[in-house]
Amino acid sequence: MGAYVIRRLVQAVFTIFGVMLVTFLLFRVVAGDIAGAHLGPKATEQQKREWLKKYGYDRPLLINRQPDTRWYDTQFAHYVSTTATFKTRSLINNEKLSDTILERAPYSLAITVPALALGWALAMVVSTLVAYYRASLIDHVGVFLAVLGMCVPYLAFIMGGQWLMFKVAPSMAYGLANPFNIFVPVVISVVAGLGGSVRFYRTVILDETTRDYVRTAQAKGVPLPSVMFKHILKNCMLPILTNLIMAIPFLIMGSLLLELFFGIPGLGDLLLSSITNRDEPIVSGLTFLTALIYVLGTLATDITYVIFDPRVELT
Amino acid sequence: MTTTAPNPAILAAPVQQGRSLWGDAFRRLRRDPAAVACFLVIGAYVALAVGAVYWYPDFLETQNYSERNLPPSADHWFGTDVFGRDVLAKTLLGARVSMTVGFMANAIAVPLGLALGVLGGYFGKWIDDLVVWLYTTLASIPGIILLIALKYAFQGIILFEGTFIELNLSGIHGLYIALGVLSWIGTCRIIRAETLKLKSLDYVTAARASGQGRVRILVRHIVPNLLHLAIINFTLGFVGAISAEVILSFLGLGVEVGTPSWGTMINAARLDLVVGRWWEAVAACAAMFVIVLALNIFGDRLRDALDPKLRI
Repeated sequence: MGAYVIRRLVQAVFTIFGVMLVTFLLFRVVAGDIAGAHLGPKATEQQKREWLKKYGYDRPLLINRQPDTRWYDTQFAHYVSTTATFKTRSLINNEKLSDTILERAPYSLAITVPALALGWALAMVVSTLVAYYRASLIDHVGVFLAVLGMCVPYLAFIMGGQWLMFKVAPSMAYGLANPFNIFVPVVISVVAGLGGSVRFYRTVILDETTRDYVRTAQAKGVPLPSVMFKHILKNCMLPILTNLIMAIPFLIMGSLLLELFFGIPGLGDLLLSSITNRDEPIVSGLTFLTALIYVLGTLATDITYVIFDPRVELT
Repeated sequence: MTTTAPNPAILAAPVQQGRSLWGDAFRRLRRDPAAVACFLVIGAYVALAVGAVYWYPDFLETQNYSERNLPPSADHWFGTDVFGRDVLAKTLLGARVSMTVGFMANAIAVPLGLALGVLGGYFGKWIDDLVVWLYTTLASIPGIILLIALKYAFQGIILFEGTFIELNLSGIHGLYIALGVLSWIGTCRIIRAETLKLKSLDYVTAARASGQGRVRILVRHIVPNLLHLAIINFTLGFVGAISAEVILSFLGLGVEVGTPSWGTMINAARLDLVVGRWWEAVAACAAMFVIVLALNIFGDRLRDALDPKLRI
């Protein structure tokens, strides 16, 4: 067990390093003329050089081979040390990333946490219902609606929801003048995700329903609802919770489009504006943040699995 | 001594031919009305996408300022847009972008996933470690962020300028590549797991015992048994590519400015809904809904037909 946890931790460190490397290559190497993008087309070579020097973009990329310098005095080392501590500063307004995150994260969390909880609860209820009445009309209609819901474009849900709010209560269709407005994107997010979740949860529940222990329980005369709630749902929780944990980091940025449509100043909104402004340190920092949460989430899930399911082999 | 003559009835009976996996899958799909219907829908989209280029070759020059923002009518079935252009034409040209992006992205991603998955699964050791590290790393970064970032980094880059394979990475070519190099992870995972399983089966051991080389076993005995998984992933991967194209184009990071696509249509019509001009956004969303539904159902049926182990 201890060895397994240590091995998974080492793997996580390698993954995090990989994320750093990928984002570094993407934003520093592929991205091209960043000084030109910030200074405008009229900037002279001299100005560009000064700009690059000011922000440390003139250092060697990976290894410093110049005499009288430390070999690790490079862009990559600097990038890793500032990004991993969230000390990196915006190129636009020089604000520290950790401050910006603290200021904006509550808005994103105000959408994603209720959306995740409500979405999970609602999908659980609906999928238990359709699985309980499997192969009946309720099941067929439920699955049909779930598939239809999965195929409606996400943008259509957002636009439709916003349009509906304009018709019903125009003051709630944009911005946060009224704190209750936050529930509009939450509801849209829940409805948009319901189809996919119901379909997945139903498959998981039905997989469990065909197992031997369920038949044994029924043969012993345990009533069906009791089998459903006491045995099946309990055993379904592991895959479902895994699915849920994996969704968390994506939800943090996943509300990107919702924040854009409803004018909510969260992290998704920050990411989009930083990308348009070529605010490289902020984009890297936010990407790193989501990757970090994802890696820690998977680590937690794997360890939970080992604790709760003795059948899982430690590999 | 008597010789028993062969029973003529047995000789006359037709030889019972075994069906291959592919023949069997084809038969199953043909008998499944939902699969046939979805296949026809997909075929219709491809046909319309190809036809649209010939029907509306100079769509961008068809501005007509006396016919701006007209609701659907007999002349313009889907109405007209802010420049007085036919929304039906725009939707069909958008289908062309979506279908091409779906095809090209998967034409890059699926072979890439297949190659990496087979290499990692079959050769093991450090090659496998490298492949697993690569896909865990990429999977840790939310796909949409990586796509936006890659597409952003691509801006203004033109590869092989002036040659016949010129690639303008700011536009649709960049979409093919960005989606292609980012969406192989699912295919790779499945292929790697299946390769690990096949590698330890008796027929592979038998092939090795008969003296066949590693590369020969890989090419002749393992890869052919993985192709059905690649085909399934190709179909299901279309949905992801189409959705990603729409979101990127909506954000202005997809196709070149001015190219009709469902994403740019939704972006253009986004603020029109409030004033009652619903037709452009609805046309784009409905077109996307129908093809995504058809691809999802067809992909599921294809998987059921091609993956006999899933059958009960």
